[in-house]
Amino acid sequence: MVAELDIHARGLSKSFGALKAVDGITLQVERGECYGMLGPNGAGKTTAIRMIHGAVRPDGGELSVLGRDAAAGSRRIREEMGVVPQEDTLDNELSVYNNMWVFANYFGISRRRSRDRIEELLDFVQLRDKWGEQIKNLSGGMKRRLLIARALIHRPRLLILDEPTTGLDPQARHLVWQRLRELKSGGLTILLTTHYMEEAAQLCDRIGVMAQGRVLVEGPPAELVRERVGEEVIELRGAGREAAAAALNGLGLEIERAGDTLYLYCRSGAKAVERLASAGEREFLRRPASLEDLFLRLTGRELRE
Amino acid sequence: MIAAGMVPSRRALRVWLRHLVQYRSFYVAEWAGNFGEHVLYLLAFGYGLGRLVPSLNGISYAQFIGPGLVVSIAMWTSTFESTYGAYNRMRVQKTYEAMMSAPLSLGDIVLGDLLWCGTRAIIGATLMMIVLSLFGLIGSLWWALSVLPIIFLVGLMFGSLGLVSAGLAPSFSFFSFHFSLVVMPMFFFAETLFPLRGLPDGLRLFSQTLPLTHAVKIVRGLIIFGRVDDFLFHLFILAGSTLVFMACATISVSRRMMS
Ligand SMILES: Nc1ncnc2c1ncn2[C@@H]1O[C@H](COP(=O)(O)OP(=O)(O)OP(=O)(O)O)[C@@H](O)[C@H]1O
Ligand SMILES: [Mg+2]
Repeated sequence: MVAELDIHARGLSKSFGALKAVDGITLQVERGECYGMLGPNGAGKTTAIRMIHGAVRPDGGELSVLGRDAAAGSRRIREEMGVVPQEDTLDNELSVYNNMWVFANYFGISRRRSRDRIEELLDFVQLRDKWGEQIKNLSGGMKRRLLIARALIHRPRLLILDEPTTGLDPQARHLVWQRLRELKSGGLTILLTTHYMEEAAQLCDRIGVMAQGRVLVEGPPAELVRERVGEEVIELRGAGREAAAAALNGLGLEIERAGDTLYLYCRSGAKAVERLASAGEREFLRRPASLEDLFLRLTGRELRE
Repeated sequence: MIAAGMVPSRRALRVWLRHLVQYRSFYVAEWAGNFGEHVLYLLAFGYGLGRLVPSLNGISYAQFIGPGLVVSIAMWTSTFESTYGAYNRMRVQKTYEAMMSAPLSLGDIVLGDLLWCGTRAIIGATLMMIVLSLFGLIGSLWWALSVLPIIFLVGLMFGSLGLVSAGLAPSFSFFSFHFSLVVMPMFFFAETLFPLRGLPDGLRLFSQTLPLTHAVKIVRGLIIFGRVDDFLFHLFILAGSTLVFMACATISVSRRMMS
């Protein structure tokens, strides 16, 4: 059985001058799926997402969203899609409540009909007591939550979020995760970008890691970690780390050096730990492999521009 | 050049309503301020300066300048709304972007902004006419009301011109060009402040090419005499240039917003 695709992009590209911000990506998001885009700053996530929700016109490639061709006038798509942009686009000249109902009105929902929905959504993101507040008096995290509530006003089938939890405190982040999971179990299709590996691991059925405009790998997060990194990681940070690593020769471990640390990737760390112990090396950390390891292995441990 | 998203629809009213909601939060202060300002203008120009001016065709200078002020207020308000206001919404606050993530087209957004400029023009002009009537400078209330559609057109026209600049502007300071090249010449030479008779031919001709001149002619005729010579001609120029400018505004804003 072929699942229905809510987003289907093929060879999607966008250049700004000589810079290929998005370099021919292919992306398929099934109905009801949560897909996460990861990638370092400048990887092209926002540009890709903005093409998908129609704010940037692609230079090339094919794109269909919610079963419609997204190139030709996308009004019908926007009626069924909610967008949380990376940059705050709240109406700073209106109060919280007016932001919500004016936005509902953009969708043709009258003030009266939107009233209950707005209360429900402000409850949903725990901003009900702020309803009369001016936007400029909200904290950064409150604004992000309000943006999420606003994007849901018309009960979209597809929700697109560009870094939904950046700038949120841990409580608010967990609240948003919980809400997104609730929405997902209600059948909503979600496409998001994030720099938080835990967010991707918790929410996403599949992730794609982007760098320099391309998708490097794609798949369910746990599977990707297992395949590309292994089960466990050992970090060596002591002065004798090179000598200790030499003691592990023959185990077939992958070794990576970054700054003051040696990373050893393995299926199981048990053998390596034994050898390290018998070599007298005690300054090491053994931990399960994570999405962060995958991310850093793929995109490099050094900051690059 | 003309893309599907540039055609406006009834949804423009949703944009207009957003502006109205925002306006509700500050109109009282604004009206009070404007009222005082209008009285000052009238006293300074109409009566102060007016003492030096002989009567023109049997009407006093204060009578002459009243309709000119009504039209220029329509011009100023719609210009501010469409330059600083629209630039702010387009580039700073990202209001346009939010609207475009909802099912509104650029055409809807531009038309909504322009309808709002027309509305602001009507509000400003009405306040001025109230001041005029307090000074007994309005012939008939009914004729005064009949100028409102013309004022609305003036609002659309200067709203469009302002949006053209807002689409082109790299920063707020760009608008000083808009004011010195578009607004000030019309404010001075559209027969708003002084009659053209007796001026050098070149200047008179220049004045005739300014669309605002035709609005002033209609409004002055209606407010003072209840009749306008060559009404259809003036209306044609006014409406025609407004339509052209509206198209230019849509193109300018689209070029800015569609990357
Ligand atoms: N409007 C624009 N004009 C010129 N260059 C742009 C524009 N928008 C993005 N870029 C460039 O395109 C590249 C990709 O940017 P993009 O915003 O898509 O990255 P991102 O993956 O979202 O990064 P971040 O994690 O920092 O949000 C960057 O090099 C950026 O400088
Ligand atoms: Mg981004």
